Amino acid sequence: MRRDMARVPLRSLIRVFAWTGLIALGGGRSAYFYDAVVVRRAWVTTGEFVQDLTLSQLLPGPNFANLAVALGCRLGGWRGGVWALLAVLVPGALALLGLTVLYFRGAFAPGTTRLMHGMAAAVVGLVLVTTAQLVTASLRGRAAVAVAAGTFMLVGPLGVSTPVAVCLALPVSLWFNRPPRGR
Amino acid sequence: MTDLFHLAGTFLWLSLIAVGGGLGVLPEMQRQVVTRYGWVTTREFVDGYTLAQLTPGPNMLVAIFVGYGAHGLVGALVAGTAMFVPTSSLTGLIARRWERLRRRPWALATERALAPVGIGLMAAGVYTLARSAVHDWVTAALAAAATVVLAARWLPPVIVVLAGGVVGWLVRS
Repeated sequence: MRRDMARVPLRSLIRVFAWTGLIALGGGRSAYFYDAVVVRRAWVTTGEFVQDLTLSQLLPGPNFANLAVALGCRLGGWRGGVWALLAVLVPGALALLGLTVLYFRGAFAPGTTRLMHGMAAAVVGLVLVTTAQLVTASLRGRAAVAVAAGTFMLVGPLGVSTPVAVCLALPVSLWFNRPPRGR
Repeated sequence: MTDLFHLAGTFLWLSLIAVGGGLGVLPEMQRQVVTRYGWVTTREFVDGYTLAQLTPGPNMLVAIFVGYGAHGLVGALVAGTAMFVPTSSLTGLIARRWERLRRRPWALATERALAPVGIGLMAAGVYTLARSAVHDWVTAALAAAATVVLAARWLPPVIVVLAGGVVGWLVRS
């Protein structure tokens, strides 16, 4: 199917994407999209979803926004892509902006500072669990583990800047994953 | 004005190196916005990321927090736009051609090669966050407890984060 032809009315697309953006809190956010457009509504097939998910992880930029754009383009052409992005970003952006203004105006008194410290500590648990789930789900083979561990050591404890670390790790990883000759 | 250019340039740069998820870009973001430009303090940066976790949408909306800290409302708009619009446009452009591109062997190889790098970067993001957010036995115990509760899927993430805040507040007052 050509991506220019709208599969879904723009209005429904905006409604579903905005709702998905609003409820997708915490880790594994792409799972909410899977539920919304594959399981609950037969808007895209699992194969198409996996394809868009891979693309959104492959390309630079925040994954969740990329996934929304890729799915939006698939469902409603370029207009679908634009509205999909706005729908997942704007509600959260406004909510965060509100909290940010309060924060910098000092509305978070000393008592709430302790609250923030507690929440930040819990967030460490959250990101740790999300990352651990990804490690167990998608890290296969010694080479992949070595590349992941090397990248972690460089950027984490050794404090090497991310682009430098990627420039070092990616060629090694590409070499391990090079396509077989003669294709 | 120059500061706004730096802000736009920095977040555009951060969005371009964000492969495999926003968490992976966190160490570099802290280096740029705290150490290099001093737009926010380490404490503010961690608090901003926590607020972004609590609000809906991608965590990289933390760009809005940093942008506001640096330059008020205009800064928030500039940082948010730089973070999301260029890379989303790229995704939109490539998504329409991806059907054809992905059949090439090197596309698949790149896909596989990026996965472990992305995971390594995410782990480094956890490290960066932990170093700033865990600074005494209360925060360490809270982080450990949150890990156990979330790994066992006893409670949804938002509840766990809010509960962490309440416990942190009660223990020290």
